[in-house]
Amino acid sequence: MIRLIGAELFKLRKRKMTWILLAVLVGIIILVNFLLLAISKVNLPTGPHGEIQNLLGLPVALPLTMSLLSSFGSVLAIILVASSMGSEYNWRTIRTAVISSESRFKLLSAKLISAAILILIGLILGLAAGFLVSIITTAIGGYKFDFSFASRTFLWNQFLQFWRTFFILIPYILLGFMFSIVGRSAMPGIAFGIGILFLESIITAFMTLAGGWIANIPDYLIAANVRAINSLAALPQGFQAGMGFGGGSAHLPNIAHATITLAVYSVIFLIIAFYLFRKRDVTG
Amino acid sequence: MTTSTTVQTSANPVTGNDIILRTTGLTKYFGKLAAVKDLNIELRRGEVFGFLGPNGAGKSTTVGMILGLVTPTAGNIELFGLKLDSHRWAALRRVGAIIEEPAFYPYLSGRDNLDTLARAIGGIKYTKIDEVLERVNLLDRANDKYSHYSLGMKQRLGIASTLLRDPELIILDEPTSGLDPAGTKEVRDLIPQLAHERRAVFLCSHLLHEVELVCDRVTIIKQGIMIANAPVQELLTKGQLLQIKVEDQAQALIVLRDVSWIKSVKTENGILIVDAPQDSASRVNQTLAEHNIFASELVSRSVSLESVFLQLTGGANGD
Repeated sequence: MIRLIGAELFKLRKRKMTWILLAVLVGIIILVNFLLLAISKVNLPTGPHGEIQNLLGLPVALPLTMSLLSSFGSVLAIILVASSMGSEYNWRTIRTAVISSESRFKLLSAKLISAAILILIGLILGLAAGFLVSIITTAIGGYKFDFSFASRTFLWNQFLQFWRTFFILIPYILLGFMFSIVGRSAMPGIAFGIGILFLESIITAFMTLAGGWIANIPDYLIAANVRAINSLAALPQGFQAGMGFGGGSAHLPNIAHATITLAVYSVIFLIIAFYLFRKRDVTG
Repeated sequence: MTTSTTVQTSANPVTGNDIILRTTGLTKYFGKLAAVKDLNIELRRGEVFGFLGPNGAGKSTTVGMILGLVTPTAGNIELFGLKLDSHRWAALRRVGAIIEEPAFYPYLSGRDNLDTLARAIGGIKYTKIDEVLERVNLLDRANDKYSHYSLGMKQRLGIASTLLRDPELIILDEPTSGLDPAGTKEVRDLIPQLAHERRAVFLCSHLLHEVELVCDRVTIIKQGIMIANAPVQELLTKGQLLQIKVEDQAQALIVLRDVSWIKSVKTENGILIVDAPQDSASRVNQTLAEHNIFASELVSRSVSLESVFLQLTGGANGD
């Protein structure tokens, strides 16, 4: 198993796409921070500029970056994982990969574990980039360099939020992974993964507007539960649910409900992926 | 015409322990379609085994089942005496294969592709990579991306990848596809060498001339059913016919049809075609002479594996 993970990491490390995705992630973090800085500097008579200003500065650098990582990071993670699996079908290397692996179960596990390792590295690098950019925007914006916020409790909360962010990504990653196996190609994984990520937010918004029992359905979908967990980030008032594609519902499921729902989705996607991969013949 | 000839022979002396691959009643259905039906084959150490059949005959499905890629509907596969379904990895790590066409990661170099494979399999020294690359004459292009390789180079990298794990069984599906004449000869020369290293080679090829040159034994399948399994020489011998020119053809036909050891006699463009044992030319001549029929020409018509194949498969090569 360890050697299969080593082989998978070697392939991902050598692939240009991995580095491009990381560059895009860091680029988005830099771009968003500078956009927020620019908007906060615009002196308009009305508008949410005061609130936007709340998103700048060192105390919110880490929560803000994690919020970005959970939204834009999901898209990039779906692309990474779906490509890692689906490209094996596209390049027809799947047969060699299966023959050279101890078992299909171990091959699939190695793929997921290696992708998870890279995603965790991406999250850490993204966080580092976010913090560095925040220092720069703080300096440019003329805000105070005050690190008194970095108490033990704050750091512990950020540590927890880091893992929450990773947890939020898991259902989407497994969704893309599953569809790349169902469709035997990277494209279905990417298309369905990202498609559902965006569409669900829109559908959730409409369901919330509809009211009645329909308004409760989003509680059992992914997006609302992702937003519920995102709300634990120490972001300023009005931004607790994050910066992502989660829709605009004021009502959010409770954390236990959100955790269980996301875990159930993850397990279902995982079981389908493993079942199909194990059962189906690997043909040309 | 379908002939089923099962002869347990090989160019190399073998024992029961030397059986590398054995399939028993191997069957695969896709829905109601039988892709492979009740296939029994054996492959021994040191043997180059040709696996032939028209397109859609079930060759790739059989190879897929042997490699654990396709699940058989019924039957057993034993590799090195181990049942594949219960000892998959122990068996497969001793097998190298190129299936249909070599497939590698296009963004990696030839060397990195082999490195990836070596990491996945485990227990392969890094120096082995250069060793196999040198063996297939790819060492000087080892750092080039696979996507920049010509078809011939890709094929050679495929062969290198099969040698990487020092396999005891090598499965090659169309190994000379895309190679130029020099490359084809190189691979053709390499195949018997590999078998002489106490390995066995399982060769699927449409190039029957190539199979005739390198294989000890062939199995021919059609529509998933084995129709011949014999040493190449035996198949060729079986296909040999006597060509006789006589003045009184009608009388010669009557005489030869009465001979019990002559399988068949027919006329073709004014020439008698006699299907008789290979060493029977003098006896045929004597029989005719005893009836005052004298042959003005008597030659043995040699056949190629291609003509035997076409005869057995009914000339079909497409589906």
